[in-house]
Amino acid sequence: MMEKIIFLTLFALLISPFVQQGGTQGFAQDVKIYGKVTGEDNKPLNGANVVIEGTIDGATADSIGYYEFETSKTGQQSLLFTYIEYNDRRKTVVIEQGRNIEMNVQLRKAEVETEEILVTASSYTSGQQSQVTITPLEIVRIPGSDGDLYRAITTFPGSNQVDEGSRITVRGGDENEVLTILDQASLHHPFIFDDDFNTSSYTTINPWGLKGINFSSGGFSAKYGNVLSAVLDLKSYEMPQGTGAFLWLGLANVGLSGVFLSNDKKFGATVDIGQTILDPYFRLNGYLIDSYNPIPLARGVGGTISFKPNDKSNLKAIFDYSEDRIGIRNTSPSYDGYFNSKASTIFSNLKYSTGIGSKTYLSAGLSFSNHKDNISYGILNNDVKKLYGKLRLDLTHQLSKKIDLNFGSEYEYNEDKFAGRVPLYNYNLRLDAPNIDINSNSHTGRIGTYVETQLKPFKTFFAIAGLRADYHTLSKKTAIDPRLSLGWKFAENNILRGAVGLYHQFPRLEYYAQSMDFNLKPEQAIHYILGYEFNKSEGLFLFRVEAYYKDYKNLVIKDANSFIYSTGGKGQAKGIDVFIKSRITNKYSTWISYAYTDSKRRQYDAQSEVSANYDITHNLTFVGSYNITDNITTGLTYRISTGKPYTPVSGSNYDTAHNVYEPIYSETKSGRFPTYQRMDINFQYFFSLFGRFAIVVFQINNLLNQKNLYDYTYNFDYSLRKEIVTTNKRQFYLGFGLQL
Amino acid sequence: MKKLTLTVLFFLIALINSNKSYSDDYSDAMKKAAKKLDAVQDISDRAALLKIRGDFERILQLKKNEWLINYYMAYCDLMIAWSYMGEKPDSENIKKYNESCIDLLNRSTDLKDDFAEAYILKMSANSNRWQYEPNKMNDIIAKGTEATDIAKKLEPENPRYFLVDATITYYTPENFGGGVDKAMPLFEKSWESFKTYEPKDETYPNWGKDQAAGMIALCYVKKDKLDEAKNWIDKGLESAPESGFLKGYVMKQYDEAKKK
Repeated sequence: MMEKIIFLTLFALLISPFVQQGGTQGFAQDVKIYGKVTGEDNKPLNGANVVIEGTIDGATADSIGYYEFETSKTGQQSLLFTYIEYNDRRKTVVIEQGRNIEMNVQLRKAEVETEEILVTASSYTSGQQSQVTITPLEIVRIPGSDGDLYRAITTFPGSNQVDEGSRITVRGGDENEVLTILDQASLHHPFIFDDDFNTSSYTTINPWGLKGINFSSGGFSAKYGNVLSAVLDLKSYEMPQGTGAFLWLGLANVGLSGVFLSNDKKFGATVDIGQTILDPYFRLNGYLIDSYNPIPLARGVGGTISFKPNDKSNLKAIFDYSEDRIGIRNTSPSYDGYFNSKASTIFSNLKYSTGIGSKTYLSAGLSFSNHKDNISYGILNNDVKKLYGKLRLDLTHQLSKKIDLNFGSEYEYNEDKFAGRVPLYNYNLRLDAPNIDINSNSHTGRIGTYVETQLKPFKTFFAIAGLRADYHTLSKKTAIDPRLSLGWKFAENNILRGAVGLYHQFPRLEYYAQSMDFNLKPEQAIHYILGYEFNKSEGLFLFRVEAYYKDYKNLVIKDANSFIYSTGGKGQAKGIDVFIKSRITNKYSTWISYAYTDSKRRQYDAQSEVSANYDITHNLTFVGSYNITDNITTGLTYRISTGKPYTPVSGSNYDTAHNVYEPIYSETKSGRFPTYQRMDINFQYFFSLFGRFAIVVFQINNLLNQKNLYDYTYNFDYSLRKEIVTTNKRQFYLGFGLQL
Repeated sequence: MKKLTLTVLFFLIALINSNKSYSDDYSDAMKKAAKKLDAVQDISDRAALLKIRGDFERILQLKKNEWLINYYMAYCDLMIAWSYMGEKPDSENIKKYNESCIDLLNRSTDLKDDFAEAYILKMSANSNRWQYEPNKMNDIIAKGTEATDIAKKLEPENPRYFLVDATITYYTPENFGGGVDKAMPLFEKSWESFKTYEPKDETYPNWGKDQAAGMIALCYVKKDKLDEAKNWIDKGLESAPESGFLKGYVMKQYDEAKKK
């Protein structure tokens, strides 16, 4: 018995130190440490952790932020407080026997990584960047955009749609002031039915092959040269994302595309074939078939081949061919007949990119494109050939965590051939009208180079400073462009942005061909942009407002009495863009864009500063999409904008020699078309057919059948004005896609 | 003899004590915390999960760069993120815990790049991103494929690999290659491989058997085969009698289906 007692006492004595958790004083009482952990606004931080550093003594805060624990440690100790998304905090305490400690701590929210700031002003991006304004799926789903990338872009502020086609204009300027880049190559004619009379053009770019889309309507980087107003920079996937095929049967078009990716993911290829079949579509939508001869036809074939020689390098070749032809009846004052056009475009690009070490990235591209176009109407009949070749090199080097360096060079060759017959007076197009035969051939080169640095001195501040130079071999003129862009995240979700820079674009080769001694200066613009953005939860709610001012100089003007072009135009554009996007629920998302523009220029025919060609004062676009179920989605787009400026005719003179009336024009661009309005809706239904993914698309463009103007025309003596309504009257479209 | 006994006892206690004087011993603490985690039967018990997450985080004080601690913290975060899904998803908190989970898993795989379990969790955490950033579709698909490829290469017969793969398939719409019919054989594979699976030691992950049974039951509920469903719920409860997933979630779905 006694033995047992001794044994138990002994055991208790021996075991006590370890019950006491090995404290410095074996028999001492534990000290309780307790308190509250809160965030900036005294909000309790449920789940915050506290620990005495170097030990596992500590606790987790509960739902009211309260924690408590006991420790046998004494003396000076460091308490570490941590919480997800918050900065760590340390507190030194002196633990004494028998004295409990209350320690209340407030933690501060950690700042979001710098990458989240998107600096460039006036830009709308899609793809894999951290901050996207729109996703590729949204682009395809925008009602009225017909799955066309360019038309989708026109739902953003800063851009207008041109004549219902795919081309876009920015801040009142021409569509030629917008440069499209695909994987370093310049795309000069990525359209079908381009520049054709009263016909909607469509882009040949497939949005699904793109991993990044960046549209900037001003203040863009020094990487982009020889462009005055805006850049659409597209980046395609280096490798296809998988293997498969897709068939499309639409009321107006059919297509087949396939993608292939090898098992080791080192080789990939894609192919795309498509053709329009417009006869049934025209009949359904009440087009007068007699107005067309031939009915518009477009077809194309394209593809890519990708190869990955090693982990760091990539080689990709793109090829695309498209052709179209159209005949459309037009009654003009001097001629009644078909406007005929036949065009074809070949585009190819070879791109190689590789990482050199861990901090340098090099990409090189070689591109070639050849565009041929034949148009005829009355006496007018000409062949145009435009050839472009470009070699480009870009180098990015990370100097330190705070400094990136970009450098690049390019050489672009451009050749224009023009052969044909043009009327001597543009008001007389009769088959027997006086005319001249022109056969011209001109070419030029351009060498461009840039250097740019991206600075991130603080986590919330970003600056891009760049300088570029371009030399034009035909005019022997050089343009120097310094550019600066700043971004400051002054509070959570709040970003202030600004940009200022000089932009140059050499006039099109055809203007040089019609100038004296090729002595045209590059057209110049200075961009000033200031913007504010509120962006909550990456696009859950996005609000942007931006003011801009652009000052133009050296614009091309045409002599009033001859064909001769010279430098000497000028002008300016100012305005405000507003963009609101919201994903109200997972089912419903919407954006509204509004742009106010005041753009005046003396350019081309204008004798003084008048409204620019696309000076659209007010432009409001609403886009909404709603997921009715997981399988059925619907959307609506509504646009309303000020009518386009045009030059009215006030009377005519009779030309006795040729028996034709010559119009007398009012002041250039002094008239305006009526307000433009359009509402488009669409439905998509996703389902499974033979175990494959299938989709049906139904859409109605211009639901309310608004009569939007393409142009005015006149009777033979200009005494009667007639409206040419755009081809985009109310249109029904039905399409079916099946994954093969 | 008595003396000898006492000496031995002394010696033994001294030994225990000397070990225990570093009572902050790593593997001991890990075992304790892992056991506690095992004992959380209701995976939607957020308060309990937060507490255990804290336990693991404090063990980091003993081994600053331990891949397994990071794994367990990530596992807690993943379950906390799940607990916010439910009928009215709280996307802010889903994102917060899921992103933390992904960060911790990345740290874990940086420290030890051949631990299959971490990649299996990555598959799951990555698919949760659909809930709060569907606009990063391409990145979600790319990262998901990468994690799946590595996990499959490292432990092709891991029951949790099948379980996570099956769960992702289950919640993917049929049109996009998912659905009950495709998921079910994967759940069954998972269940089969759980039968023979033995964790390396006490600190290694050992979760998911009840989930495999529960998900098979759910598949049967969806197929309107309620007897089979009940059968699987019972099978699951046999191996985890207190499973909150089976009792709180699967049973509820089963009862609702039965009422109809």
